[in-house]
Amino acid sequence: MLFRLECKKIVRSAAFLIYCVISVLFIATNYYSDCKGGVYFGEGTKIVEDHELIMYGALNSLMGEYAANKYVCYPFGYYKAVHLKEKDQQKIAGYLREMTGTDEKEFEELLSTGEKYYVGMSDKPVYGFHDVRMTEGFSYDRFLEIMTDTDDMLGGGSDYAPDSLLALYSGVDMTDEELKEEYRAFIEDDKVTGGLARLFCDYVGIDLAILPVFVAAWLTSADRKRRMHELVYTRKISSAKLVFTRYAALVFTMFIPVVLEMIVALIQAVVEYNGESLDMTAMFTLPTFWLLPNLLFTTAAGVLITEVFSAPAAIFAQVVIWFKATITASRMLSGKIGRFDLVCRHNSPTDRSAFLMNHDNFIFSRIFWTVISLVLVVLAVYAYDAKRGGRFNGIRLFGKGGLLRRKA
Amino acid sequence: MASGCLARVVSSDVRHNFLIHYLAAAAVLLMTPVIFGLAELDRSMAALPLETMPPLMGLILLTPLLSPEQNEGILDTVRSKKMSRQLVTGLRVLCSLAVLAILIAALGGYMKYNSCDVTLGMCAGAFAGAAALGALGFFSSAVTDNVIVGYMVSVMYFFMNLFLKNKLGRFCLMSMSCNIKGSKPVLAAAALVLIAAAMLFRRIFRNEQ
Amino acid sequence: MDNNIIIRNMNKFYGKKQALFNIDLTIEQGMFGLLGRNGAGKTTLMKTLAALHQKKDGEVTVCGVPVEKAKKIRAMTGYLPQDFSMYPNMRTDEALDYLGALAGIPSQERKKRVEELLEKVNLTSHRRKKVKELSGGMKRRLGIAQALLHDPKVIIVDEPTAGLDPEERIRFRNLLCEVAENRIVILSTHIVGDVESTCENIAIMDEGRILWKGTVNELLENAKGHIYTANIEKQYMSQIKKEYIVTGMVTQADYTTVRLVSDAEPDLPNAVLTEPDLESAYMYCLHSNGCSVKGGEE
Repeated sequence: MLFRLECKKIVRSAAFLIYCVISVLFIATNYYSDCKGGVYFGEGTKIVEDHELIMYGALNSLMGEYAANKYVCYPFGYYKAVHLKEKDQQKIAGYLREMTGTDEKEFEELLSTGEKYYVGMSDKPVYGFHDVRMTEGFSYDRFLEIMTDTDDMLGGGSDYAPDSLLALYSGVDMTDEELKEEYRAFIEDDKVTGGLARLFCDYVGIDLAILPVFVAAWLTSADRKRRMHELVYTRKISSAKLVFTRYAALVFTMFIPVVLEMIVALIQAVVEYNGESLDMTAMFTLPTFWLLPNLLFTTAAGVLITEVFSAPAAIFAQVVIWFKATITASRMLSGKIGRFDLVCRHNSPTDRSAFLMNHDNFIFSRIFWTVISLVLVVLAVYAYDAKRGGRFNGIRLFGKGGLLRRKA
Repeated sequence: MASGCLARVVSSDVRHNFLIHYLAAAAVLLMTPVIFGLAELDRSMAALPLETMPPLMGLILLTPLLSPEQNEGILDTVRSKKMSRQLVTGLRVLCSLAVLAILIAALGGYMKYNSCDVTLGMCAGAFAGAAALGALGFFSSAVTDNVIVGYMVSVMYFFMNLFLKNKLGRFCLMSMSCNIKGSKPVLAAAALVLIAAAMLFRRIFRNEQ
Repeated sequence: MDNNIIIRNMNKFYGKKQALFNIDLTIEQGMFGLLGRNGAGKTTLMKTLAALHQKKDGEVTVCGVPVEKAKKIRAMTGYLPQDFSMYPNMRTDEALDYLGALAGIPSQERKKRVEELLEKVNLTSHRRKKVKELSGGMKRRLGIAQALLHDPKVIIVDEPTAGLDPEERIRFRNLLCEVAENRIVILSTHIVGDVESTCENIAIMDEGRILWKGTVNELLENAKGHIYTANIEKQYMSQIKKEYIVTGMVTQADYTTVRLVSDAEPDLPNAVLTEPDLESAYMYCLHSNGCSVKGGEE
């Protein structure tokens, strides 16, 4: 009963309407347009994890960046040139000598073989190295140690972070045979929709990690704004029931557009792959399992932070979480899913094997975020109950007694 | 009307209603060197920070301009006074745009000082994009009487820019880094149109004169 | 120069829904009470007079100025909305100063007025408090102070006493009477007692229409011969409430003395005709104009 009323309230709000519009716009401009005309199998790269290839590529790149003392990093997903202090440069030089098996004099010589050129209007040269070799039999484990330490010195996000090494230096173009095999896996193993569902989830997962917070913040702050909160506080209903009902209503209503989008995606797949034998359920099962945790978490965080702080604080916090989880996440858009990834990325309808390689991590992350969400809702119940009993008035950042109050 | 009154209204507004937003926008400026490298960038690299951070400042500065009067009791009280609401709103827009211009100038100046290839035109372009995104937030909150919706629309438009880029054509905020020609005048015009439309809407449908 | 508010055949719509029907009213200097139930259209009428709403047709002039000239109207009216509120982070005196600036009062004069008014509404000792720290009564007093800031000819106060304790309510009414000298003060309320002790002229509204206008005495006169008291045994009370408009009850040990409104002499033993009080007269007025008021105000 209350559930139905809350749903009605949400569905009629401007915030929900705009949630729907943006959600549809986002999926239409990304997924539906990507899938128009079917998936293209003309070319592709794959990551082979060839240790020799990786070490060779990384070494030459590090030589060049060391010579110019300008290391390109993407700590937050954006270009940032890092310059090291003399001491750290010495350390890098030590690593380079170790990897190339040279003494100081030989290393100097090696360094001078770099091709020198200028970029843009800068008067500082950069250097290119193409055929520096690792010393024979260098262990890959030791190499990874060096790379991890180098990445730490650079403040993270460099080309030498373990994830980036794979993505940058061990990708090779696929042969025709391999492309054919990819196509076969897409049609026969994934039955088309299985693969498309992953791409669908990749895109929808991004907006489900931010959009729901607006609706959640709106609903949670609505009572107070309409001066209804005291009326609601004095009702018989338990805090747990009220908060959970509202939470359930938020999740339920906000999942409706997602389900509709799944249906449209399935229809599109049926139209594009007319004649193939499609898996008619994959477009529903995988996305539900993949996306629901995103929605659960974003909504729960929105409800809790709005209850404890305020609606703008919830929006701000979620923007930061979202930024961290998407824009600044790993540079690999497919083939890599971490155990604690809120937004799982797999920006490809193919590459089934890479996805399956990370399947355990994927399952773990989905369950992890679901559990976290439920914990957050329980906390929100406590916060609501404490406010209701007058034991707690929310934490104010500004104003009287605020954490960040300016000194008068 | 005595100009002293206008000055009093503006200074009160700034201190009590918007100082926090100005500070938040300045915080975005201070975050820029943490997220981006800002030294020795060529033109297209320099465009990236200039087109990514200022829109965030714009949306922080312009979206909440009507939020102090979301409470109807306050709105009726201030509306019953002689000074026109539209004048007060207009002044708030100007103040926010001025703060935005100062922040962008500071960012551009800092980059120039660090030998980036930044031109005055690029800063003006950054300003146009930032004002356009802010105006979008301002417009949505003015029409719906709801600041959360204003943030929602502007934040999501910003995110769509990060993902869609070229697909947005001339309405792309990142047009300099995506090499889209002729976009900045469109954005500047969009900013003006949105602000004017928001004011007109308030005038006609909310009886704010 | 005309010193009255004159409303002629005014209609007001919210979209397609008509909110005010053919309002015809003249309001003279002094306190004027606008009585009506919640939702009767009082707030709509008052907002229209304060140039916050636009009417559809008809004529409204405030002291000779047509209400369409919003700026002029605002310059000479002070308005206290039903749920007055101010930017919560401003200090009390700052809020007044800010509103004074919005009213276009030059700085020197503003300072003087703010001092005077804080004194008048007894808020001088709370002037450094933030608006959100004020109690309900203090906030309402701040509200009346802001309405008086620019020394307006017309003051419009919407349900100003709702939610105030009796002491605050009396203080507030006295304050209004004080300021009503050589001004028009329009007070809307659903509480008859507010009007009884302060207003000479009143109008009664219901469902967007003016049901009645005149003086308090005329209203009492009007109800003469229709108000009765009777002693009723308790078991009949619910039936009485169904059949008559009960405006007062005093419970005794084994019976209840009720005051009731009736067109003809009620068919009750020991029913006695009595002098109408304003509350009963108001109920009679609503009743005689076809409003459903049975079931009484309990």
